[in-house]
Parts: sequence; C-alpha cells; structure tokens
Amino acid sequence: MEPLRAVHLSKSYGGTHALKDVSLDIRPGEVHALCGENGAGKSTLIKILSGVLLPNAGTVQWNETPLPLGRVHSVEAHGILAVHQEPVVFPHLNAVDNLFVGREPAALGGAWLDQSTMRKKARAILANLGEELPLTQPVGDMSLAQRQMVSIARALLHQCRILILDEPTASLSARESESLFEKVNTLKQQGVGILYVSHRLEEIFRLADRVTVLRDGTWVATSDIASLNQEALIQHMVGRDITQKPGSGTAPDESKNRPPILEIKNLSREGVFQKISFKIQPGEILGMSGLVGAGRSEIARGIFGIDPFDAGEIIYLGSPLSKGFTIQDTIQAGMAMVPEDRQQQGLVLPLSVETNLLLPSLREFQGPLGLKTKAMRSSGKALIEKLGIKTETPDHPAHSLSGGNQQKIVIGKWVHRLPKLFILDEPTRGVDVGAKHEVHRLIRELAAQGSAVLLISSELPEILSLSHRILVLCEGTIRGELKANEATQEQLLKLALPEEARRSA
Amino acid sequence: MKQRILNMIWQPETFLIVLIGILLTAMGRLDASFLQWEVQRALSSHVWELAIIAIPMTLIILTAGIDLSVGSVMGLSAITTGMLFQKGLPLPLACSASLLVGIFCGFLNGWFITRMKVHPLIITLATMAAYRGMAEGISHAKPVSGFPDSFTWLGQGDWFGLPVAAWVFAVMVGIVLWMMHGRAFGVGIYAIGHNETATRFSGLRVDRYLVTLYTFSGFASALAAVLFVARRNTAKADAGMGMELGVITAVVIGGVSIFGGRGTLIGACLGVLLIHETREFVSWHWNRDELNLLALGILLILSVVFQKLLRHKQGSAI
Repeated sequence: MEPLRAVHLSKSYGGTHALKDVSLDIRPGEVHALCGENGAGKSTLIKILSGVLLPNAGTVQWNETPLPLGRVHSVEAHGILAVHQEPVVFPHLNAVDNLFVGREPAALGGAWLDQSTMRKKARAILANLGEELPLTQPVGDMSLAQRQMVSIARALLHQCRILILDEPTASLSARESESLFEKVNTLKQQGVGILYVSHRLEEIFRLADRVTVLRDGTWVATSDIASLNQEALIQHMVGRDITQKPGSGTAPDESKNRPPILEIKNLSREGVFQKISFKIQPGEILGMSGLVGAGRSEIARGIFGIDPFDAGEIIYLGSPLSKGFTIQDTIQAGMAMVPEDRQQQGLVLPLSVETNLLLPSLREFQGPLGLKTKAMRSSGKALIEKLGIKTETPDHPAHSLSGGNQQKIVIGKWVHRLPKLFILDEPTRGVDVGAKHEVHRLIRELAAQGSAVLLISSELPEILSLSHRILVLCEGTIRGELKANEATQEQLLKLALPEEARRSA
Repeated sequence: MKQRILNMIWQPETFLIVLIGILLTAMGRLDASFLQWEVQRALSSHVWELAIIAIPMTLIILTAGIDLSVGSVMGLSAITTGMLFQKGLPLPLACSASLLVGIFCGFLNGWFITRMKVHPLIITLATMAAYRGMAEGISHAKPVSGFPDSFTWLGQGDWFGLPVAAWVFAVMVGIVLWMMHGRAFGVGIYAIGHNETATRFSGLRVDRYLVTLYTFSGFASALAAVLFVARRNTAKADAGMGMELGVITAVVIGGVSIFGGRGTLIGACLGVLLIHETREFVSWHWNRDELNLLALGILLILSVVFQKLLRHKQGSAI
C-alpha cells in the first residue's frame, strides 16, 4: 500500500504563516513522530491532515489521488482519523454510546437504535485494542486513560488506515502511558500508519520509527530515529543547543540546623491520603512522585487550604496552622501554588498578562485615590522580563500566549510576592522543550533564593533532575523516600505501583 | 494608534450611543414635543428606580451571577415603610428600617450563594417568591397612603433642577465607577466573572465580594422602594412587580454579558436610557402599552445580535 503524502502544505492566518511549504509522508505500519515547540505548526498540520482546516496551498495524496480537504467526514471516510489532545467524550453517556455518537447504526429505517449491534461492535473494537472497559458505566466516571481509550476506539470504528495521536500521554500517568504504548504497537503491527505528536522525547525514542521536526512553521528534518540522539533532536526543535545537566546534586543545606519551612505530621483525609509526614528545608526541592490518583495533588490542595483534611498537623514556619485555615491565610503567610489545571485554576484567560501577574498582589497597588497604575505597569514589565514571558504587550490577554508562556505567568504571579513555600503541581504539563527548560531554571532559581519547593510531577526525568529528595506515593501513603542523585526511574516506578501490580510484574 | 481608535469605535457603548442618537432623532421627527426638556424631565421620574437597581445588577451579572429578587425586595421594603408609618413611627425611622430589611434580604441571598453553594438563579428565584409572599402577607394586600409632603418631595420634588432620585442615582454611579476603576475591587469583579476558581486560587476573597454585591443589591432595591413610595404616595405589596425583568433587560442591552466578565457600568446605564426612551415614546406617541413589550423584545434582539457581531469584529482585529 502507498504511504499518505502531504505535499507542500502552507497555511497562513492574516499575515502570519502557521505552516510554510511542509511535506511529509506516513507509511503504513510505521510510527511517525512529529516534534516541535509550541507554535511550530504541529497542530495546524494535524488539523489539515484530519480535514478540519483547508490549506492555502498544497495537497494531501493517498494512493496517488488527492484527498478532499477541509471536510472531516470525507477525510474520515478515507480512513484517516485523529484523536485530539483532550479526549472528546460525552461524560454522561456510556462507552458504547460515546463510540457511536453521530454514526449510530439504525434499525427500522432510523426509528430505532440497534443497541445489540452497537454493543457487539464496541466489544470487538475494544478486544482488538486489548482493552477491557465497563461498557455501561458513564464515561465521566472513568479514568483519563480509559477515556483516552474510548477516543481511540472511536477512531477505530472506521476502517482506520492512518491514526493521528496528538499528545496522547499528556494527562496519563507512567503506567497508563505504558498501556497506551502497547496499543500503539498493536495497531502498528496491523498495518496502521500512526502520526504521533508528543513533547516527551523518551516516548518518541521508544515508539517512533521516523521523526519529522517542525520549527516556526517550516520543515526542519525527517530522519530515522536510529540515526538521532536526544541532543540532536532537541537542537533541531529549538534551533539552539540546550544542555540539561542530569541530576541536580545535593540539597543546599545538609546541616539541618535551619528550621524547616514546612513540616507535615500525620496528615490524613478519609479515603484519599493517610498519615502523610514530611519536612521541607529552605532552599530544598522536594519531589513527589507517584501514579495519577496516588493522592499527590490532594495533599498539595490540603496544604494550600483548598480542600479540608480530617486529621494531622501542618507546621509552617515553626507554628501550626489553625483549624479551618483558608487559601487567603496561606497566601498571606507566604505560600504559593501552581495548580494542576493551568487554564481553569491558574489563569483568568481573557484578562491581560499584567492583570494575571498582579492578581494575587492587587492590594499592594491600592492607593488612597486609585490603583497605582504606573507602579503596576513597571512591576508587570519587570516580571515579564524576569520570567522571559513572550508577549507583545502586557495588555495582551493571557489566552493569546502559548502554553509555555501561560505557565510562566502562573508561576510569575507568585514570584512577585517572594513566597517562602512554592507548591508546583505538574508545572510543565503540555509545555514545549524550550519553555520547559526555562520553567526548570525558574524553579531552581526560586530554591536558590531560599524558597522551599514542593514539586509534583508525573514525568520521571523531570522529577529526577530537579529534586533534592523524592517522596514516592502510592494509594494515598508514602511508599518511600529517595535521594535524587541515587534514585533511578525504575526505582521510582516500582515504588509507585500498587502491591498487587508489583507482585504480578 | 489607528488600532486604538478602531477599537474605540467597535465598543458596544459606541454602538449604543449611535443607536440612541438615531432613535431620538427619529422620535423628534415623529413628535417634536417628546424631546422638550420639561417633558423629558417629567417622564424621567419613571426610570430612576430601575436605574438605581441596575447599578448592583450590572456588578452581579459581571460576576456571572443574577438577582431575580430585586422587585420583591422592593415590595417588601415598600410595605415595611408603609406599615411602620401607619403604626406611627417617624418616617426617617420607617425608611431606615426598610433599608435594613432590603440589606438583610440581599445578605440572605449572598449567604445562600456563598455558604450553601446554591446557584444565584435558583436562590433568587426562590426568594423572589418568598419576599413577595411576605410583603403580601404582612400587608394583607392593602395599600398605605397619606404620606406628608416633606416625604413625597423625595419622589416628586426637584433639587437643583433635577428630580431628587436623579441625584441619588448620580451619586451611586459616581461611587461605583470610582470603585470599579480606582480600586482593586473592579479588577476582582471581572476576574470572578471570567474564572471564579482561578480568582479564588489567587487569594481573592471571592465570597466576600459576592456577599457584598448581593447585599448592595438588596440595599439599592430598598432605596428604590422608598423613592417609589414617595413618588406614588402609596406603599403597596406589589411595588416593583416585574422590575427584575426590566433591569436585567437594560443591563444586557447595555452590553453586559450574561456569562460574566464582559461589559461596563456605562454601557448598562446607556441600556437603561435606551429602554426608557423607547418605552416612554411608545406610550407618549401611540399611547399603546402592548407595543412597549414588542419594542423591548426587538431592542434586545437587535442589541444582542449587534454585540455578537462587534465581538467577532474585535476578535479578528486583535
């Protein structure tokens, strides 16, 4: 069979070129990775290939005939299907209904839904994927990984020849990702060509046969994965050399005579986490590793005053926090948190970059007659510069920025307050390599200035390279504590797995 | 610079000013007497109560909330004033008591919304019925009248050439505009309207904001009730019946998004002016009140469609 060929595709919005003369081909039975920083043109390319967008120039050829572009239905009919980053599902419907929404097989001339055929087909497709899903449960009650499977299964309902996966592991834990990789390999063996978009380089090196790199809307290189190493790939993506030192060495203050910034004693919340105890010293980065659902975010939310907890004590700067403390109390006391969901919890997207940056410190700018707009402008500009936020003006709305720059705002809005404890929940999720590097630099800088950092991350290389110490959580309890410079990815993963899974492994 | 001027032109406020200008010109053509200062001043007495309530309503809708109970709070406060006056209480005391009733009614709304996490639409729908029921129960649907001239002056008299109620409105708009533009308060309201969670996570006291706004709404409704009683020289339980619809319509016509975060107080005031002039002209010229509703509906549709187009335009301009 012929490969799918995209030939000289270009797309521009107004004056800006999102994609310039890009060609690539996807062969049947290969995993073709697509890399590039945010804004490199990956999503534009995917949208053209999946029929969402019409290019200004160029064609997509399939078996020597050009495809009708700009129409999702006709592209899907040719067997080209895309699974977008956020799984598109209807949370109140069950898996079967989700699979068939919009293309239900009808009986009695459309008057009746053929439920039994639907169920039979759904089972066949899921069995083909090697996945067992509860068919009658509302999808909203499933885990993110299971929802992702539903999305993929939905794509496979059609005779699928080319599957486009856009950041499929962005919201999956390490173990869930593993199972996704297996599914990808199964499909590959069945002759499906897969275009795989990811920011995670380890995945690309594990899965891909070939890789295409885009930068600023142009094609940079396509090569066999075997002929590349990580450094070369990153260099292709950013166009400059980023060297990342492995492991961040020893904690800044081993002597322990300084009092800890935060001390947690036996913190518990019924059914969520139990008897959590740890300390963080000034200048220390404490990593929290574990599977999604291990209770990491919930502990962070408990400390910050978002969620309540049942028992235990939080001692902050030497004195215990009073019962029923709130977010305002913890912020007043100098805590800061970068929440898991940047767009929903971290930013007010339609408001300007400056307003977002200064939102937690607004009161400081309150003069007797009015807001001190000049002071706000200069503080805003200083923060934008300090954090390297790429925005045309401080007045641009936050949603006009790329994911990486948005994340810098979420961190930056606390930097102004010089927090003593910084809680970061998945700070680089969905952020491109260049911005990730800068976020890492910021985290190290914060610690070097004496802040204590609690870092939650599902990305093992990230947590290993940034943390001084690492706590591994599993099912709401601390399974182990490791020194980062002695720990390995395998150790972290092994501790993170639940008992029964470990025994079977 | 050019961009800035273009952006100014494509504001909903600009659109409203143009629309009001066109309408007034057309009205003047049809009936020149309508635009006389004396006529306008006299007719304006119908709008001040609505205008006063529109101020807190704008702020509440900006936070993506709503207060349906304003008309009923007006009824309850009006009847409080009347009953206490009838019982022989001095009027200043009776009025203060009715303001307190309004404040309490608003506070209760805010308390349910923030503490019990009830959606504002539900709780104010409930209190709209409950407050009105209380007003009718207390008064047995009997009106109170016979207020002294010193009191009715509040509703009927002039002060420096304008109705007293106009001055009350102006002072309130002034204070709120200053709060919105000169204080962190304003930024907070828009932030809550766009994304309450992120605002909460930034340490703003969202609950305090909301309780304050709903309490303010109760206060404004009670104030409107006092002015209403003074103007009509009667306190009735059905005072302010249907007020919520007029107020919300005016605010939405004024470009305030019902989903929160978008719109301005100035825009809402222009919305009030627009529906006021339309209503009054229809009554003045054709003397047919049923046309009023039709006109209101058409205005609302026009304004919403235009604002959609404007936002689309702005979106592509940036």
